[in-house]
Amino acid sequence: MRLGIDVGGTHTDAVIVDQAKGVIAKYKVKTLKEDLLGTIIHSLKEITANQDISKITNVNLSTTLSTNAIVENRLEETALFLSSGPGIDPENFAIGNNTYIINGSIDHRGSEVLGLDSIQLKKSLKECADKNIKVFAAATKFSTRNNKHELTIKEAAIPFCDYITMGHEISGLLSFPRRAATAYYNSAVWRIYNNFINSVIDAMANIGIKAPLNILKADGGTMPLEISRRVPVESILSGPAASIMGIIALCNIKEDSVILDIGGTTTDIAIFAAGSPLVNREGAALEGTPTLVRSLENRSIGIGGDSAIKIENGKVVTGPERFGPCMADGGNMPCLIDALNFKKIIQYNNRDASERGIIELAKKNKFKADHLADAAINFAAERINAEIEKMLFELNSKPVYTIHDMIHAEKIIPKKIYIIGGPAKALADVLSGDIEILVPEDYDVANAIGAALARTTFETELFCDTGKGKMIIPNINVEKNVTRQYNLDEAISDAKTFTREYLRKHGIDINLDELTITEATNFRMINDFYSAGNDIRVKCQMKPNVVMYLHK
Amino acid sequence: MLKAKNKLGLIFFPAYDWAISPTHPEREERLLYTQDQLKEEGIFDVEGIVELKPDIATDIDVMRTHFCFPDVESVTTQSHLISAGGAIRAARAVLDGEVSSAFALVRPPGHHSMKCVHGNRGFCNINNEAIMIEYIRENYNIRRIAIVDTDCHHGDGTQDIYWHDPDVLFISLHQDGRTLYPGTGHLRENGGPGAKGRTINIPLPPHTSEEGFLYVIDEMVLPILEDFKPDLIVNSAGQDNHYTDPITNMNFTAKGYAMLNDKLKPHIAVLEGGYSIQGALPYVNLGIVLAMAGIDYSHVKEPDYDIRYHPQDEEITAYIKKLKKEVLNNYFSPMPDYMRASPGEFTVRHKNIYYDTDGIHENQKEQIKTCKNCRGLLVIESSSSVNPPSAGIEIPVDGCSKCKKEGYALMEKMWKSREFVTIQMTDRVDKRYFRYSQY
Ligand SMILES: [Zn+2]
Ligand SMILES: [Zn+2]
Repeated sequence: MRLGIDVGGTHTDAVIVDQAKGVIAKYKVKTLKEDLLGTIIHSLKEITANQDISKITNVNLSTTLSTNAIVENRLEETALFLSSGPGIDPENFAIGNNTYIINGSIDHRGSEVLGLDSIQLKKSLKECADKNIKVFAAATKFSTRNNKHELTIKEAAIPFCDYITMGHEISGLLSFPRRAATAYYNSAVWRIYNNFINSVIDAMANIGIKAPLNILKADGGTMPLEISRRVPVESILSGPAASIMGIIALCNIKEDSVILDIGGTTTDIAIFAAGSPLVNREGAALEGTPTLVRSLENRSIGIGGDSAIKIENGKVVTGPERFGPCMADGGNMPCLIDALNFKKIIQYNNRDASERGIIELAKKNKFKADHLADAAINFAAERINAEIEKMLFELNSKPVYTIHDMIHAEKIIPKKIYIIGGPAKALADVLSGDIEILVPEDYDVANAIGAALARTTFETELFCDTGKGKMIIPNINVEKNVTRQYNLDEAISDAKTFTREYLRKHGIDINLDELTITEATNFRMINDFYSAGNDIRVKCQMKPNVVMYLHK
Repeated sequence: MLKAKNKLGLIFFPAYDWAISPTHPEREERLLYTQDQLKEEGIFDVEGIVELKPDIATDIDVMRTHFCFPDVESVTTQSHLISAGGAIRAARAVLDGEVSSAFALVRPPGHHSMKCVHGNRGFCNINNEAIMIEYIRENYNIRRIAIVDTDCHHGDGTQDIYWHDPDVLFISLHQDGRTLYPGTGHLRENGGPGAKGRTINIPLPPHTSEEGFLYVIDEMVLPILEDFKPDLIVNSAGQDNHYTDPITNMNFTAKGYAMLNDKLKPHIAVLEGGYSIQGALPYVNLGIVLAMAGIDYSHVKEPDYDIRYHPQDEEITAYIKKLKKEVLNNYFSPMPDYMRASPGEFTVRHKNIYYDTDGIHENQKEQIKTCKNCRGLLVIESSSSVNPPSAGIEIPVDGCSKCKKEGYALMEKMWKSREFVTIQMTDRVDKRYFRYSQY
């Protein structure tokens, strides 16, 4: 049995999924924003109430804790050490009030151009000590090619701090600004996250759950608890991903598809290519700041069941604002749900209130009530359709870098739209078009199902310069000497083996064939017409997937 | 977050699966380190910088600019069409108002490709900038365009294509042809009979440094541009003037290139040569991108700048200063062409062209009509070591009805003579591009 909990902004959902029987328990409760821990403990108790706790093999938790801490700026005072060498002025990437720029330079091949300025570093550390700052983050340019400077900072910093994040441990991808931001946020939520997780574990022990705890990530996968303690930033934005993973479990998605998750305030849109969710190539943006946190390709627009209906310049507009619940739920402004209620597309709570609201608003603006409701619903449907079109256009015009991909890359052309969330059924009728629209069962707890059934995801990037005789996999701290003859096949094999070993060490036992090689390149390097070795790069992924399907 | 002052489009197409040959400078690896540097700098996340996917140029796009023998397919690969398409995408982005300027970081390059194409010369098959410019002139209401070629090699291909065009000003800064391929680009090469002063060559001595290049821009290029008042400025952005370039002898730098672009303010830059792929390109490209986007580039510097870069010798400075007068004269008061045919007659040029990459020899007879009503019908007869006699006829952008009629009549006559295996018609007035072919 697997237990999944998704702590969302409004609701917390929990399910228990049995390998044979499917969903055997589900529970939904309002999230107490000021007491996430209480909400989780309460949900754990409720969902396990009449169950054989000893049969639970996994507990998977998706929580907004880190996201909220960042969005609401409840972050621990964190010192960020940057070292960049030539290029864009690193001052541009300062975050928080304690960014220290240390001289030093490593070039794009990972060669040290200028050693790290130890005097500057010492002085900065002293300043941090004076300010009583206890968590640090270090990001140096091209540290994924050579982590020497980040290691130097860490060594010097250890006596001064409780924790320091090194940028190269988060991701092997290139992007100094993203590395800096991600490392900073990681350290800034480190303590609050770890304290929280400790409480969750205590609570689980009290209830008698002995199963290991895994944490959901934005890419629709989980990470083992121990890894999450070092990279808590990976737990951000896991909610939408959990829903998407739920849809995968609930529906037999095989072709290009669109997934709509319609909530109270927003609609989340995700795209599947050939049945798999698209992963964002670079990483999620958090409050407009790009990070290296891997995430599913997913977009949110301000159309939901509680989107307010207004008249602007004689036109009926739905959303993006939400001024409270819909009138059917006791609110005092007519919303999308009320229009659907009025049109008898749905039958939801207090329908009289909905009717009253729509008629009143129509009267005030000299509209026919029927016309107003239609226009409000159409507006919402059109907004969603337009956003889907825009997203597909952008995905289909993403740059590629080989002639092969220019000529052969397939376009994403959705064949189906899957809709989940409160007003799903109602909007399914309205979202017209030639595309088949499906509303899966059990969609109301798809997020918790996704959490329960998501498997581990992980990504490593191997980089090798055979001229230098060195192979590295930065985010799992692998460094190996290789011969001039080291080739792409060996690199692929190394990437897989080292990744599996690392996951094993953290209690995740996988087969090599569960790892996918998503990129593998081998460039012959030439120096003045002579061979200078090979530049080999391999990207290895444990792709997002569910451990079992629930569709019949 | 970092914000670009000027909205910039980047068309980055490194063609990681294409090379002229495994150890050729124009090989898969060439833009790899540039991409590493741009990614690591976070360039693609800067607000106001957008990365755009290249178009793929069509056969028509190529025929609008070149006479291809025996046809487009035989002298291009997909990589050439994508590279040219990258330049077209850059132009579309600027002219449709998506961005205020654009930089096409594409390969292979194109500025050694001439009007007639039999194969590859100087690593180039088709001329990316020219294909882009002709696309612009056919689809947008733009006439006057200036190309400033800052590649170390003379842009002989672009010069050849626009030799007779009074609306396109071609300025090339390059290492003196007496010391480097392709050996042309002398001061006296100054434009065809109907376009005198529209080709400006500025041959610079080996080891010209930041100071010299910026002097040329300030004292020669900018005053000429100010007078010409182009609707659009295009930079043929070769990067082989860099002090680390393996096949040239200049002494330019990344910051220098950035400053040059900052002064020139091109609407569109298209990458040309540049083969110091580790030591120069990552920094030069970064510098150009920042300069075009209006972001501070003062921290851009090569790792070995302090060791290997030397300021300019006084002798070189003096030499370049002396060039100024001649260059400005070439533009402001060019010598009239005494060889020009009288109205109704053709001015004839014979040319021998060598395609170094492919080892092809071409013989050409080029004829341009002197016409009172348009810039004149262009007829080129061309044969080469790979193609029997072939011909191209071009009715120019502003072609008059008489020239047009004469062009079509000439095509029929030449075809009936059976002297040519293929004849390409480029009718810019009616936008008709086709060929007769014995193949
Ligand atoms: Zn060149
Ligand atoms: Zn004429």
